[in-house]
Amino acid sequence: MDTNIKVIQPAGVLDGNQTHQLRGELNDVVGTGARLILVDLTHVTFMDSSGLAALVTAFKTVRSTGGKLCVCSVNQQVRMLFELTSMDRVFEIFVDQEHFIKTLTPEV
Amino acid sequence: MKLRNVISADFCPLDPPQRVKILVRTDLSLLAQVLDWFDQFKHPTLPHAVWLQCQLALAEGFTNAVRHAHQGKPLEVPIEIEVSTRSQAIEIRIWDQGSGFDLERSLNAVPAFIDLLAEGGRGLKIIEKTSDVFSYTRTADQRNCLLIIRNYPPQA
Repeated sequence: MDTNIKVIQPAGVLDGNQTHQLRGELNDVVGTGARLILVDLTHVTFMDSSGLAALVTAFKTVRSTGGKLCVCSVNQQVRMLFELTSMDRVFEIFVDQEHFIKTLTPEV
Repeated sequence: MKLRNVISADFCPLDPPQRVKILVRTDLSLLAQVLDWFDQFKHPTLPHAVWLQCQLALAEGFTNAVRHAHQGKPLEVPIEIEVSTRSQAIEIRIWDQGSGFDLERSLNAVPAFIDLLAEGGRGLKIIEKTSDVFSYTRTADQRNCLLIIRNYPPQA
């Protein structure tokens, strides 16, 4: 598998309290030179505007280094939040990790 | 006080609780508990999509109170939350003890998500979008009450 792909899996309630950890993890991953970052939201039970803001910050950071940040496995609550804030037009959203890898690395 | 074990003709035991209050400390880490508490309002007569939006509005209202209204206040200063259900409407009230702010001005200050990639400022807009009535008023006991009312159609 392409080592430039990194997957991050936050869990639980993704709110202002959890975002420090997410930001830290994302910074580490960007620091490793990863160009494709997938935030797998399978284990996120709830996301509020602070969690969303952390994702947006990460999205911009990754983009500024020439990389790409995508999300996958969003539940109904997260999808509703993305739609309310029009972020569904910003993030590339994949069904799951396999879908992401198949779509973005066709040679694998 | 309603006697829950007495079932009268107009009382359906499947009804969601009609009026419930909690006091929560000024602590962002209590959001998960507030969300758990709101689970009791999941009910077949309330569409799940509406429940999800009300849950989000509640979260935004609570975290707004912690972050802004109670900024710099001790953890012990309580935030009071009340949820009440009526026929085809759910009402959420959140009382804080801050100095208050001008909701209209705050809402007008940020045009509706024009900057998609802004890194903050979405909370109040989210409440506005998910509610039918949204107000923030000073109360007689020197608190502020954030009121969110969401109407929904009857379920078949």
